[in-house]
Amino acid sequence: MVRSLHWGMLVMYAGMAGAGYWMTGLPLGMTKLKVYALHKSFGILLLTLALLRLLWRWADRRPMAEPSSRLTVLLAAGMVVALYALMFLMPLSGWLFNSASGFPLRWFSLVNLPALVAPDPGIKVFARTVHASLAIVLITAVLGHALAAFWHHCVRRDATLRRMWFSRRTLS
Amino acid sequence: MNRWLTVPVLLVVSAGALPAAPVYPVRAAASTVVFEGRQQGERFTANLRSFDAKIRYGEDDLQGSSFDVTLQLRSIDSRNAERDQAMATPDWFDVARYPVATFRTVAFRATPSGVVADADLTIRGRTKRIVFPFSFVRSANGATLDARVALDRLDFGLGAGEWSEESMVAHRVDVTVHLALDAPAAPVAPITPPKKNKK
Repeated sequence: MVRSLHWGMLVMYAGMAGAGYWMTGLPLGMTKLKVYALHKSFGILLLTLALLRLLWRWADRRPMAEPSSRLTVLLAAGMVVALYALMFLMPLSGWLFNSASGFPLRWFSLVNLPALVAPDPGIKVFARTVHASLAIVLITAVLGHALAAFWHHCVRRDATLRRMWFSRRTLS
Repeated sequence: MNRWLTVPVLLVVSAGALPAAPVYPVRAAASTVVFEGRQQGERFTANLRSFDAKIRYGEDDLQGSSFDVTLQLRSIDSRNAERDQAMATPDWFDVARYPVATFRTVAFRATPSGVVADADLTIRGRTKRIVFPFSFVRSANGATLDARVALDRLDFGLGAGEWSEESMVAHRVDVTVHLALDAPAAPVAPITPPKKNKK
């Protein structure tokens, strides 16, 4: 379950990054608004899933990490904190940007969510800057995370990456 | 709206008494024209900040009463810069071609629930005859005119084509008008004495 979340969210983040980059350049029209609506809906979904993952992390016993040096343990811990923070800050800054711009927030044509703040040009610029900058930070962090996983797999030759894969066989 | 506008009116009407349907100067700062729409299921309000209204009204002289309003569509403020820009485009108000909307009463009728006006509303070059119920309340220092009408944006070709889908922008738009009116100017002595054999 945790691994499904991990990979499922990765796919969604990739889609969000692609859509986020593409949609801002679209000409004003129905397509643009629909892509934005989807981007927002998936953003709220990802926020919920991030919360779920955080709770899971608290509640569940985590498997032991593969033995490592102090430096890599520290690096890994820092990366975990950064990734979790980004999982929350990305959707929240987007939500803030949306509210400050005065746009509605309808979650998958089902329910409307409240605005975080009243329309405000200053907050709008701030939230947009945060949202766009954090997108770059998140992409970089995810690439670093993947690089670290490959380093475990190819250089250290331990089970870290295999453990995250779905096949039961590799777990033993 | 100032005193000068009322002078020629008073010269036409016989002097001495208030005309049956006097002109009420509009206090622009205290008056609002607001419309409410629904976008993606969420209500938004837009202020039409700049308009010019000429209100001539008297219950005893419905014939001589008239509301004549010109609304500057560039002054729409929905507290959302992107939406305001979108509303100005050819898909919506097309303000480059149609900078103003007009509202002109055609007739006033007494109904059991009060006086209503039939009016021609022109937006985006399309005119529609609408029923305009309103309340007109006099006070010590003037009067207030309040009205609320529901419009269908497609009647005026607003957001036709791909935007006509209701899930994104609802068809119904509620317009609320609140006009704060000064008391009609007191009649002035006629410059030329009225002719005796007028009637």
